[in-house]
Amino acid sequence: MLMVITFFLSMILAFASFFMGKKARLFSIASAWLMAILVGIYIYMTFGGGYHGGIVSQYNFQIAPSIGISFTTGVTGFTGALIALSAVIILVSLMVVEKDSENSIYGLILSTEVGLFGLLISRNFLFFYIFWEVVLIPMYFLIIRFGGAKRDRVGLKFFVYTHIGSVFILLAFFTLYNYYYLSTGEFTLDMGTLMNTAFITGHIPVFWRDFMLFGFLIGFLVKLPSFPVHSWLPDTYQTAPYPGTIILAGGLSLMGGYGLFGILLPASGIFSSTLLYFLAFLGILSLVYFSFVAMFQKDIKRMMAFASAAAMGFVTISFAVGILEHSYTQVLELSGGMFQIIAHGFIMALIFASLYYIRRNTGSEMTYGLGGIYREAPLLSSFMLAGLFASLGLPGLAGFIGEFSIVVGVYQGITWWIFFIILGMIVTASYHVWVAQRALYGPYNEHLGHIRDINRKEFATLCGLLVLIFVLGVFPNLLDGLLTAYVGGLI
Amino acid sequence: MIVNSFITELALNTGLSNLNYLYPLFLLGIVAFVILAIGIRIENPRLFASITAGALAIVFFWLYFLPGNPNLVMSGTTIYNRYGTYFAMIMILASLLVVFPAARRLSKKADIFYAILLFVNIGIIIASFSYNILVMFVSFEAVSIGTYIMAAFGKEKRHLEASLKYFFTSTIATAFTAFGASFFYISTGTFDLTAGLKVSSFQSMDIALLFLAVGFGFKMAIFPMHQWAIDTYDGAENSIAAYLSTGSKILAFVVILKIFLVGFSGDFEVVFYLFTILAIASMTYGNIAALSQDNLKRILAYSSVAQVGYLILVLAQVSYVGNTSSHAVTLAVATGMYYSVVYIFMKGGAFLTMNIVKKDKVEISDVTGLFRKSPAVAVSFSILLLALAGIPVTGGFFAKYNLFLALITGQLWWLAVIAILNSAISVFYYFRVILYMFKDPVGETDFNLSTSVRIPVIATAFITVGLGVAFQMVYLLMSVAPGLFG
Repeated sequence: MLMVITFFLSMILAFASFFMGKKARLFSIASAWLMAILVGIYIYMTFGGGYHGGIVSQYNFQIAPSIGISFTTGVTGFTGALIALSAVIILVSLMVVEKDSENSIYGLILSTEVGLFGLLISRNFLFFYIFWEVVLIPMYFLIIRFGGAKRDRVGLKFFVYTHIGSVFILLAFFTLYNYYYLSTGEFTLDMGTLMNTAFITGHIPVFWRDFMLFGFLIGFLVKLPSFPVHSWLPDTYQTAPYPGTIILAGGLSLMGGYGLFGILLPASGIFSSTLLYFLAFLGILSLVYFSFVAMFQKDIKRMMAFASAAAMGFVTISFAVGILEHSYTQVLELSGGMFQIIAHGFIMALIFASLYYIRRNTGSEMTYGLGGIYREAPLLSSFMLAGLFASLGLPGLAGFIGEFSIVVGVYQGITWWIFFIILGMIVTASYHVWVAQRALYGPYNEHLGHIRDINRKEFATLCGLLVLIFVLGVFPNLLDGLLTAYVGGLI
Repeated sequence: MIVNSFITELALNTGLSNLNYLYPLFLLGIVAFVILAIGIRIENPRLFASITAGALAIVFFWLYFLPGNPNLVMSGTTIYNRYGTYFAMIMILASLLVVFPAARRLSKKADIFYAILLFVNIGIIIASFSYNILVMFVSFEAVSIGTYIMAAFGKEKRHLEASLKYFFTSTIATAFTAFGASFFYISTGTFDLTAGLKVSSFQSMDIALLFLAVGFGFKMAIFPMHQWAIDTYDGAENSIAAYLSTGSKILAFVVILKIFLVGFSGDFEVVFYLFTILAIASMTYGNIAALSQDNLKRILAYSSVAQVGYLILVLAQVSYVGNTSSHAVTLAVATGMYYSVVYIFMKGGAFLTMNIVKKDKVEISDVTGLFRKSPAVAVSFSILLLALAGIPVTGGFFAKYNLFLALITGQLWWLAVIAILNSAISVFYYFRVILYMFKDPVGETDFNLSTSVRIPVIATAFITVGLGVAFQMVYLLMSVAPGLFG
């Protein structure tokens, strides 16, 4: 019940923060802290005593049960971790709002939190879809009100692109809804009932099954994003204000990952092996392609956008190959994929937050515009460096755990294709190190003049994130236990 | 003796025993004449607006409290049931929506305007209950003639031009309708729509279908019979454009639903092909044409062509499924009913928002910086546009949601995909308007933000969201929807 209360509270607080005037900043940060603490308490209370898979905190608010509409909530180990991630992301993104921004930005950021919480706790497709779209609207306004150059066009492109992806999800669950009615005479939009291998393979004709899968996959892969449907990504990341970029990297990828592992995984039996090989291929292609593209970016923000997309390539690979093979490594790689989503959210938050401070203090976010800023701002550079290392998968930090489990796991399934994954990892490592070397170290760019280091409050923000990343890297079992139990409950 | 039996027969034939169903119409007529009479002495638009609104509100509730069980009235040409009541009521709402905003711009001869609005409502009520082509034709013409005059109201010649264009094209459409109706009579031997149920496909029936579709398609502004609507909505006074694009359009929808789904139930294959093509063409053309427009009222006009495309998907779905008692058909018809009421508020509200710009020709750049001037109006207008684009939490989303659901339920997946892609295209031009509103103004922009302009915008936005929250309404309407088939 605590989670549901937290969710409704977040709704009220987000709405209220639009009317706070000058106190909006203080109010919204306080609200985000409150949310984060409540979520923390909830997770400790629910999963602290051990979790053995399945859905907990199920509540049912009936609205129109005769036609299958009720606000049903439920949390799994995986969604619990994602809820915690989104609470942290929102908090960080509020910290990096520019001081003189218009007050409505705080309300918009809190509104995305409402959408994220809502879609993660909903176990009813209608409400899942509503909150899925609710995330997009504040994001759109964030971009067009507070974005950088070309924000009008980019905002529109972002919205239309992701909106088209979303409406396919709508078609997909309509198909399930309709066939459930035809086979049982009852209406339901309950995820657990509909996303059921036995029901889908038994009662839905092949064509409609493919139609449904196509709809879901388009919707989720756009958000992730994966290779052929990614073209909204670089411009949007670059143009969005930093708080928006953090939500894009953490929150929207989270939505795509939740779609794959939270919604499609329970019905893993419906995937044909051809489709899974194709998905794995897409994942590998994303990883390699985005890594190479990232290598040639001059703007660090844009480069990290591609790095984020490349990291999501791992998620697709682990999802596809994890379902494909039925061996002892299955749990390892599936939980590795989920770990990757969460670790990636924290890491990108750290990178973009540090990058924001670098940008604010030096006025530049280009690799060539910076140079040797360690001399002037050692603390800030160190945090940026830590973020970059975490992102390239340095052992001991969170990024390593996911990638390692995935690479170890998928070797069984795709054998020599692993070469391409390794290639992607090498390229990733090379441009990360190159950025660190060029922008943070090396000779100081004297044009920058004297630059300020971060103050105590900013240090606390970044340090908190780094501690999280470090703890997850050293004690992965804190999170992995939940994910393994979740996967174990499904297989 | 003879006289006595004549009266009995008259009573039977005219349904005098059911005269209570006609009292609301008498009330509207009497009030209209009273307004005309007062108008000789007094020129006070607000007074007339209040009287009109009062009369319409009374009739609104009166219709609701009339017995709901089906009853034949007026020699059996008219069936009073909950289905007809629903549409009559929402079209009265569409009139109520524009009563007060219209008063602002009417300094002269306001009495005539409001009397005509009431007469139009009489026609609307009869047409929404009627199941006889002839009665429908006559009542629909009563509405059309009223709206020709309404479109001409305003200070400038522009309004007159809009009205004339509307008048000429509409007259041609009337001729088509009359021609189609006569072919319907030749094929079935009656004007009664329910008789069509027993008739299988004739060639003359196909001619009737085509001509009636062209005739009523004109009135509903379905592509390719839409061009008058663009010019008329653009040229007419804002509140009248709001009325033309909601009230009279929904009436055309009601009539089309009845004629083609009840009258041509033996001919569903042709109805399906015709309306699928019309729907796809209308959606696609409306959306694509709106993309390249810079005139805000024309954007809204083209968007209403696209919205009509979504609405007539209901006909495509019902004629494809065929079995009029199935769940899929009931859902589709209920969706049409829900879509209509949402459409009235979102489209009417959007046209009424145009009043904030102190110009006759509203360019999209004229709303630049509206958010700075009045956040409430900008957010409300954004909500209306979001609803038109079908974004969640608004009524527009649930209208589209149920529409796509109905299409999938009817196994028309490809039509659902086309509709969804169209709905995604439409996001472009609706969001372009939102973009301009939230931009910071370049120079000093001058908006008319008086209370009488702000209230309708905020109220319609509120109702649109309210309809979205109360989306279970669709499932209540599913119990009423079978009333379409008599």
